[in-house]
Amino acid sequence: MPRRVAIIATGQTKHAARRLDVNIRELITEAVTRALQDADLRMRDIDAVLLGNMEPFEGFLFPELWAVEGWGGYMKPSVKFNTGGTVGTTTAIAAYYYVASGIYDVVMAIGFEKQSEGHTQTAITTVGDPVWERSVMAGAIGNFAVMATTYMHESGVTEEQAAKAAVKARRNACLNEYAHLQMPDITVEDVLKSEMLAYPVKRLDMCPQSDGAVAVIFAEESKAQKLAPRPAWVRAVATAHEQQYMGDSPKRLAEMRSLVAASRRAYQAAGITNPRKELDVAEIYEVASFAELAMYENLGFCDRGEGGKLIDAGVTALTGELPVNPSGGVMSTNPIGATALIRVAEAALQIMGKAGGRQVEGARTALATGYGGNAWTDVIILSRERP
Amino acid sequence: MDEWIVRQKIRIPFRYTAGRAISRFLLGLAERRIWATRCEGCGRVYVPPLGFCGRCWREIAEWLELSDEGELVSYTVRPAKPPEIFGLIRLDGADSHLVHRLGEVEPTELERVVRVRAVWREDRTGSILDIAYFAPVRSKSLT
Amino acid sequence: MSEESPTLRIDFLLDTEYQYAVGQYGMRFFTGLRDHARFMGVRCPECGRVYIPPRPVCGICYRELQEWIEVGPEGTIVGWTVVRIPFIDPMTGEQRPVPYGFALIRLDGASTSLYHFLDEADERKIRVGQRVRAIFREKREGSLRDVLYFHLLEG
Repeated sequence: MPRRVAIIATGQTKHAARRLDVNIRELITEAVTRALQDADLRMRDIDAVLLGNMEPFEGFLFPELWAVEGWGGYMKPSVKFNTGGTVGTTTAIAAYYYVASGIYDVVMAIGFEKQSEGHTQTAITTVGDPVWERSVMAGAIGNFAVMATTYMHESGVTEEQAAKAAVKARRNACLNEYAHLQMPDITVEDVLKSEMLAYPVKRLDMCPQSDGAVAVIFAEESKAQKLAPRPAWVRAVATAHEQQYMGDSPKRLAEMRSLVAASRRAYQAAGITNPRKELDVAEIYEVASFAELAMYENLGFCDRGEGGKLIDAGVTALTGELPVNPSGGVMSTNPIGATALIRVAEAALQIMGKAGGRQVEGARTALATGYGGNAWTDVIILSRERP
Repeated sequence: MDEWIVRQKIRIPFRYTAGRAISRFLLGLAERRIWATRCEGCGRVYVPPLGFCGRCWREIAEWLELSDEGELVSYTVRPAKPPEIFGLIRLDGADSHLVHRLGEVEPTELERVVRVRAVWREDRTGSILDIAYFAPVRSKSLT
Repeated sequence: MSEESPTLRIDFLLDTEYQYAVGQYGMRFFTGLRDHARFMGVRCPECGRVYIPPRPVCGICYRELQEWIEVGPEGTIVGWTVVRIPFIDPMTGEQRPVPYGFALIRLDGASTSLYHFLDEADERKIRVGQRVRAIFREKREGSLRDVLYFHLLEG
């Protein structure tokens, strides 16, 4: 039987387009120090450290090795992961396994990326298969654009409806002191009039490229109860993988097979039958405005083709029935190796009651997702109640 | 036909942020000075300098200047014409090592080299290459 | 902390050459493309899916794929875009020319789709469900570049 595991602390850097005041090592230290302070722990209290990062953005292998003294790795058990966009949730799920297994009691998961040092679209294009895809592909923006036209065709979602998700993200971000893009006055018009990157994706539909790091500390039951007044218990974790090529999944965004599979597996493990009613808040890896609406449908927050109506009705607004991304989400902050772990940290902050101005009152059950690689999905459910 | 390959390049420009401690170190090199930091917790002297000691998990505030001489700890030779020699150098007073090029020395002589000193470039820009290479310190009795 | 003064930055050009093996299934596909201007897919004996790019195993049924079937050269647009954002092409280190249209194309007879260029970069003239046809090079070498692009058909 796995042990009960909870998140007891989180720490984030101030995320920004360019953190030119610090190198990667110093950036990581900023997040790790804040996480340790959050639970009043010392580095020696951490039994193992797991890291997530996507090396193509830094252009050299093992940036975590170069930064080892910045994350407390000296002589500690440690593993680094790279699973693309999902890497933050992969690292969180691995930290959960480390503690649930009974081998380690207190484990820190770290995610970091310094997008400003390389070229994000260029590096992502190398993800494409060199024989079959790379010469055509245009980074994440091109991929999402192709997925978005399929989704618009299948669901009838409009550019205006997608723009509403982009506006919600940047306004919510104003309540999050760590968020990168904070735009209190942004309007749907602004999004629709922003520069066309790749139809139908305009600049303000897309996530930014950020420099940032995050650290999340997981602990076994007795330590969690001792160290955190209100720990965020891990209720369920699930991962599902797509097939290998971009064209293998028949409808891509319109039917995100891996998100459907992973979320249903997690709901079942957590005993959730109606996610819209039973979840209090969701922090999803939405990447682009169109993706957020498609994810509503594939997560079962609404029926197929209803993603646009859900945003129209304000269901996912901060004050709505099921707030989605009160933090501002990926569309406001995107240091890729950290992004999915930021979803987990933000979901945990909601359960712990530490989300400040973006707190969803009385949040007891929270969902976090990661999405990346070739449409690979991770899902994590946290709860105030001990499972 | 048993082999079929596709040749492709990956060519991407990067621009790395040096960070606080390394920036001070690099700017020092432009002035022919080698800056190190010393951790008040463990006493280790780091060069290149660290602003944060990962072993003690504490900020490092103490800066000190080292001489440009030290001990050659290890080396390797890349067979090329002329051969390229790389050394692991512990500057006097440091607890960590610098990797740099070695010059003014033949591969066959390396075994006898104990002390090395920095040979500085005239046109310095704030780069690790402001030191052109390290050269053996030859005592007069040997020459 | 981000208000603090910027520190030094250091430039570095990553420039590495790779040799990717196209594999046994890729070789058969590219031979067909080069010698006969023909797209070959493989069919799963269990679920009936016809895969392109061809591959040894159906990831869903985990069955070996041995039945080769010609697909295309016409097909349908499943998803598309026109890239307008300038970005550095990792294959050259230089800016890739924009705008260009590309799409996921389901070749007739295939169950999966292939990324390729369109001969159109006007957003108003492209739609999901539109019919397209592969336009081949005269002199083919055995790579996806043997297809110049997919041409939009009327209607």
